[in-house]
Amino acid sequence: MIDYYPAAAEIFLATAICVVLLVDVFLRDEQRMITYWLSLAALLGTAACSALFFVDEPVTTFFGSFVADAASGVLKLVAYVAVALVFVYSRDYLARRNLFKGEFFILGLFGLLGIMVMVSAHSLLTIYLGLELLSLSLYALVAFNRESATAAESAMKFFVLGAIASGTLLYGISLLYGVTGTLEIGTLAERLSGPDGMGIPALVGLAFIVVGVAFKFGAVPFHMWVPDVYQGAPTPVTLYIGSAPKIAAFALAWRVLVEGLGDAHASWQGMLIVLSILSLAIGNIVAIAQTNLKRMLAYSTISHVGFILMGFIAGSDDALSAALFYTVSYVIMAAAAFGMILLLSREGFEAEQLEDFKGLNARSPWFAFVMLMIMFSMAGVPPFIGFYAKLLVLGSLIDAGLVWFAVLGVLMAVVGAFYYLRVVWYMYFDDPLDEAPIAAPGGMRVVLSVNGLGLLVLGVFPGYLLELCMRVL
Amino acid sequence: MIPTILFYAFAAILLIAAFGVITARNPVHAALFLVLAFVQSAALWLLMEAEFLAIVLVLVYVGAVMVLLLFVVMMLDINVETMREGFTRYVWIGGLVALLVAVEIGHVVWFRSEGMQFLSTPEPFPADYSNTRELGSVLYTEHVYAFEIAAVILLLAIVAAITLTMRRRPGLKAQNVAKQVAVRREDRVRLVKVEPTKD
Amino acid sequence: MVTVAHYLVLAAVLFSVSVAGIFINRRNVIVLLMCIELMLLAVNFNFIAFSRLLGDTLGQVFVFFILTVAAAEAAIGLAILVVLFRNTRSINVDEMDTLKG
Repeated sequence: MIDYYPAAAEIFLATAICVVLLVDVFLRDEQRMITYWLSLAALLGTAACSALFFVDEPVTTFFGSFVADAASGVLKLVAYVAVALVFVYSRDYLARRNLFKGEFFILGLFGLLGIMVMVSAHSLLTIYLGLELLSLSLYALVAFNRESATAAESAMKFFVLGAIASGTLLYGISLLYGVTGTLEIGTLAERLSGPDGMGIPALVGLAFIVVGVAFKFGAVPFHMWVPDVYQGAPTPVTLYIGSAPKIAAFALAWRVLVEGLGDAHASWQGMLIVLSILSLAIGNIVAIAQTNLKRMLAYSTISHVGFILMGFIAGSDDALSAALFYTVSYVIMAAAAFGMILLLSREGFEAEQLEDFKGLNARSPWFAFVMLMIMFSMAGVPPFIGFYAKLLVLGSLIDAGLVWFAVLGVLMAVVGAFYYLRVVWYMYFDDPLDEAPIAAPGGMRVVLSVNGLGLLVLGVFPGYLLELCMRVL
Repeated sequence: MIPTILFYAFAAILLIAAFGVITARNPVHAALFLVLAFVQSAALWLLMEAEFLAIVLVLVYVGAVMVLLLFVVMMLDINVETMREGFTRYVWIGGLVALLVAVEIGHVVWFRSEGMQFLSTPEPFPADYSNTRELGSVLYTEHVYAFEIAAVILLLAIVAAITLTMRRRPGLKAQNVAKQVAVRREDRVRLVKVEPTKD
Repeated sequence: MVTVAHYLVLAAVLFSVSVAGIFINRRNVIVLLMCIELMLLAVNFNFIAFSRLLGDTLGQVFVFFILTVAAAEAAIGLAILVVLFRNTRSINVDEMDTLKG
C-alpha cells in the first residue's frame, strides 16, 4: 500500500493547478483577478498541507522515489513564499502591459510543482522529471510576452542551452545507472561506497552530472544563459527565475552530490572549487561594467552562486547548513531587488537601467531606504542578513582548512560591494531624472516594505533561521 | 553471426544518418535524416530485445514529433542559402571536440571498466518473455509517481504551446459555431405579406 | 559477438556527433533542436544497453520517460521558435545580437 500523506502538498498543488486552469478558461479578461486570488489560495492550501504533514524524520514512499524530511519541508515553505511574492509583485506590472493572463500564474504554479518534486526526490528519475517540469515552465514563461523579440530570443537561447544541459545530465545519470544498477539515491550511495564503487566509469558520469548541476545554478563557465535571460525576460519572469529556482538548484546539488555521491566528495570538490572561483571572479568583475540593473543583478547572481557552492565544497554538515542559509537569504534578497524594479516601473517605462534609480531619495525616501537595505544585504554589509550568510560559508571554508579560498572569497566580496554601493550613491547623491510619482498599488508597497525590513530583522536576529538550517540538515 | 552483421549494418546507417543531420544544407533534409536515424535505432533496440520502446520510438517519434518538426520547418519558410554561411568556420572545432568526447568515453567503456562485465553478451530472453508486460507491470506500480509527473509535464506542454502560439487576429473571419447552432427560425426568416398588385 | 560495450561505444559516438552538430550548427536553431534529439537518442541507447546488461527494466522505464519529456520539450521548443520567427522573421542565431555584454 502506498502512503500518500507525505506527498499531500504535491497532490494538492497538482489538483489546484487543474482547478485554476479550468476556472481561468471560463473567465472574461476583466475577471482575471479571480485567477490571481485562486493562485494565491492554491499556494496557501499547499503551504497548509506542507505544514500539516511536516515530518522530522525522513519518510520515503512511492517505492522509494519520494522522500519527505525536515529539510524538504523547509525548502518547500521558502519556495511557496518566494512564488507568492512573485505573484503579488507582478500583478500590477502585468495588468499595465496587457499581460495579465491566467497562463502566467498557471505556468508559475507548474514551475513550483517542479521545484517541490525536485526537493522531495529520492531517485534520479524523479529528480530529472522535476527538473524538466521546472525548466519547461521557465522556458515558456520567458517567451510569455509574445510581442517582444528580445524575450523570444532569450527564451530560445535558454531553451537550447537548457536542453543541452539536460542531455549532459542524463548521460551522467545513465553511466551511474550502468555502474550501480539503481536510481534510488539511498541505494546509490550504498553501492558506490563499496570497495570498487567509484570506478572510472562512475567518475566520468559524475563529471557529466556536475556540468548539469553547474548549468542549473548558472555557475561559470555554464552561465551564458543567465545575463541574457535575466535581461530579456519580462521583469516579473526575471523575478521568478531569480528567486524560487535557486531552491531547486540547491536541492539538485544536495540530493545528487551530497546524498547520492557523498563518498566521492573528494572527486567533485575540485570541480566545484574551479566553478566557484570562476563564478566569483567573472560575476563580480563583469557586473561592474553593466548599466542595466537586471543584467547587473544577473552577474551578481552568478557571484552569489559562487558563495553557495562554497558550502558544498567544505562538505561538513555545518557547511551545508551554511549553504542552505545562504540560499534562503539570497532568495529573499533577490525577490526584494526585482520587486523594486517592478515597483518603479509604470506604463511604457521599465525602471531597469541603473540611471532610473538616480535621486530616488528625493522621490520616495522610504523606498530609497528599502533599496539601500537590499543593496547592503547583497554586498554583505552588517547587520543585514547577507552579511551572516557570507560569514557562515566563509567560516565553513576555514573549518575545512581552505583558508586561501576564504581569503579569495572576501576579496571578491569587496570587489562586489562596489557596484552595489554605486546604486546607493545614485539614489542619494544624484538628481532624479524624472519626477513621476511611484504608481504601484498599496498592497505591493506594504509587502515589499516587509520583505525589505525582513533582511534587516533576520540580519539582527539570525539565530532562529540559522538554528532551523542547522536542525534540518 | 547474423545479429553481428545486422548490428554493424544498422549502426553504420545510424551514424551516416546522424552525420547527415548535422551537415545537411537544407533543414528538411536534416529532418528526414533524423527520421532515418530513429528508424535505425528502433531496429537496434529490437536487437537488444527492447521491443516496446522500439515500437514507441517509431510511433511517437517518427510518427508525431518528427511530423511536428517538419510542419514547423515548412511553415517558417527558412532561407536555406544564408543558413550555411560560416559553416566551415566551426567544423574543425566541432570535429575536434566530438573526437575527444568519443575517444574518452569509448576508452573508458572498453578498457577501464574492470569488474563491470561491459564486454559480455547478455543471454537472450526465453521465447515466452513479453517485454511490454514487464514494463507495464512496473510502470503503474513502482513508478507510479514518475508516471504522474510525466502526465503533469505533458499537460504543461499543452498549456505552454497554446499560450505561446495561439493568437486572435482582429480581422480574421471565423465561424461562431455555437451561434450558428443556436440560431432559430424566427431570427433568420421574416414572413412578409406582399400586397398583390393589380395592374 | 556483439557485446554491451559495442552499444555503449555506439552511444558515445552518437553523443559526440550530436555535440559536434551543436558546434557546427550554432547559427541554425532548428538543426540545433535536431542535434538535441540525437543527444537524447544516445542517452537512450546507454540506458537500454545497461538495462539489458543488468537484466532489470529500470533503464527501459527511464527511456520511456525520456521519450515523453523529449516530446514535450520538442513541442515547447518549436512553440518558442514560432514566436521568435513571428517577431524577427529569422531563426539565424548570429542575427540575435540585441542581448550583449
